[in-house]
Amino acid sequence: MILTLHLLALALYGLATALTLAPVVGMRAPPRVLTIALPCAGAALHVVAVSQLTLVGLAPALSMLALCLVLLQLATERLVRGSAVGFFTGPLAAGLVGLALLIGLAPGAEPSAGRNAWFILHVALSVMGLALLALAFIAAALYLWQFRELKARRFGQVFQLFPPLERLDHLNRVALVAGFPALTLGVLLALGYAARFAGGLHVGKAQIVWGLFTWVVLGWAVWVRLVRHWDGRRAAVASIAGFAAVLLVYLALKLAQPGAERFL
Amino acid sequence: MSDSNAMGIKVLGVNHRTAPLDVRERFAHGAHEVPGALARVMAAGATGGVLLSTCNRTEFYLVGDEERITDAVWNLLGERLESGAAARTYGYIARDRDAVRHLYRVSSGLDSMILGESQIQGQVRDAWEASRAQAGPVLHRLFQSALHVGARIRTETALGMGTASAASAAVAVAGKIFGDLAGRSALILGAGDMAELAATCLADEGVRVTLVANRTHERARVIAERLDARALTLEEAWPHFATTDIALCSTAAPHAVVTWERVGGVIGGRRGRPLCILDLAVPRDVDPAIAQLENVFLYDIDDLQTVAAQATARRHDEVPAAERIVEEEADLFWAWYGGLGVVPVIKEFRSRMEALRVAEVERALRHLGHLVPEDRARVEQLSQALLNKFLHQPTVALKAAAEEGRGYGLLEALRRLFGL
Repeated sequence: MILTLHLLALALYGLATALTLAPVVGMRAPPRVLTIALPCAGAALHVVAVSQLTLVGLAPALSMLALCLVLLQLATERLVRGSAVGFFTGPLAAGLVGLALLIGLAPGAEPSAGRNAWFILHVALSVMGLALLALAFIAAALYLWQFRELKARRFGQVFQLFPPLERLDHLNRVALVAGFPALTLGVLLALGYAARFAGGLHVGKAQIVWGLFTWVVLGWAVWVRLVRHWDGRRAAVASIAGFAAVLLVYLALKLAQPGAERFL
Repeated sequence: MSDSNAMGIKVLGVNHRTAPLDVRERFAHGAHEVPGALARVMAAGATGGVLLSTCNRTEFYLVGDEERITDAVWNLLGERLESGAAARTYGYIARDRDAVRHLYRVSSGLDSMILGESQIQGQVRDAWEASRAQAGPVLHRLFQSALHVGARIRTETALGMGTASAASAAVAVAGKIFGDLAGRSALILGAGDMAELAATCLADEGVRVTLVANRTHERARVIAERLDARALTLEEAWPHFATTDIALCSTAAPHAVVTWERVGGVIGGRRGRPLCILDLAVPRDVDPAIAQLENVFLYDIDDLQTVAAQATARRHDEVPAAERIVEEEADLFWAWYGGLGVVPVIKEFRSRMEALRVAEVERALRHLGHLVPEDRARVEQLSQALLNKFLHQPTVALKAAAEEGRGYGLLEALRRLFGL
């Protein structure tokens, strides 16, 4: 059932991504209702699938991250009419679901921990924080791309399809500002969970290091935006650097501790 | 439903392709002139009329077949030509289905100077409103459907997407920097027509045009009053580059007036806030070196024309889809119109045949005085049966053709063949 629902969600995400990318390859843009309805339907199936998962291990985390990205894409579409965000979140979400399916979405080794409400909330908020950091990265990348085209007076696909600079800057700020409390709560819940259910789930040092590093990076990105009033190009570069650092540290730690049974 | 409803529809007029601007200007009718002009044309035999008059076209949509109607239109327009030239040399006529198709193309912007422009839809609506008393049922239906076609093409195709003029391209470019333009401030440098047009486009998007600067203060004041802004001299304008969001430059200066020396330092004090400079002047008003400042987005008239040309090219790609909708809707209208006249014509056709039958039977019976009343009744029945048999197939074919939208052609043939 979990597998079937994931496959259906993957098919719908794939179709939605293909439709979203149609104007990039010079085809007619599909009706907006389709580019919203398809990921909506995929996300609905995905929610059912994730609710049946034991949230332990790499594959469930990737599936959860994909779901958060799709939900954020839909929110972005609604809030800032930033359809170009789907150019990146669509393939990324589809890729993450595909990867999760390849790794295997069998129930985890520690189902009791994976079903605990504290733990579920910790995973959900942490992954949402991470997805918001990824969204801030995407908005920043789109910003720099659009900025370069506008400065160079090029009026091609990027000019036509990407959202305006100020809207991308706003999206970057909102994603960071929403992501930081989500991740902070996720970290606090992890600490609370460790204190209350000690021994229920083994947490590796690498996971603690990466979690705290991500929290610090996100906190720094929010700080430079809100306190130092960075915006525009400088804020975009900071977001990209922060996300890249988080990703690189994760990959480095994962290389040091290979295996799909744990997130880290 | 009267027979007149089955008359031909025609459009006579001139547009930007057939007549130069000075001729179009002379032919243009204000709203107050429409009823009088239509009354003159309708006095020549038209049973319905709508006059569509914009800066790019003057067109009479009429119902009626009389050649006098055509002459009346050309005479009416010709009176406006001082040279005594014939108005028909600038004009065109489309009849029946072509006239319907023409109006649908006009209302959807397919026939506009700027392909896909949306203003024409409002102008078609206004023309219909202004001619409401004289339009008649056929043209009411036609104009109603024309507005529907325009709306449908706008919804189902991208014909109206993008910006197809330099002034609207200026709005699009500024929109790509600021997103929502409402509440942004703009400074206008120069007081030419182009600057005023672009400023009006920006104001339509909610931009506050706060300052108008010009070499001569008096000219700046005239434009500033129109835009509800403050007038400045050029020298007074430079410090405002620190605060404005959009600077629109269109002076007649022979060299760059917005130079690094004048505004470089001022723009540096914006703390990274973006500044969009739209240089519409030829020769250019803005020193290209200004664009090196990170937060400055500088565009000249070539850039804006590139944006407009790209939009136009994209709109051209949508033409086949839009034309398909026009054909589809013209078929629907013609089906309705064909059916409109079929019932009275069939009725007249049958009564004419019946009158012939009665006359011929009476004539024959006069020579057959020896027949007993029963035989006379049989002859009468025979003639009726024959007439019914003869008329059955044409009646069925006419009704079927009307349902398929081909009724009008057959009706015309029937009228000509039987002198109806």
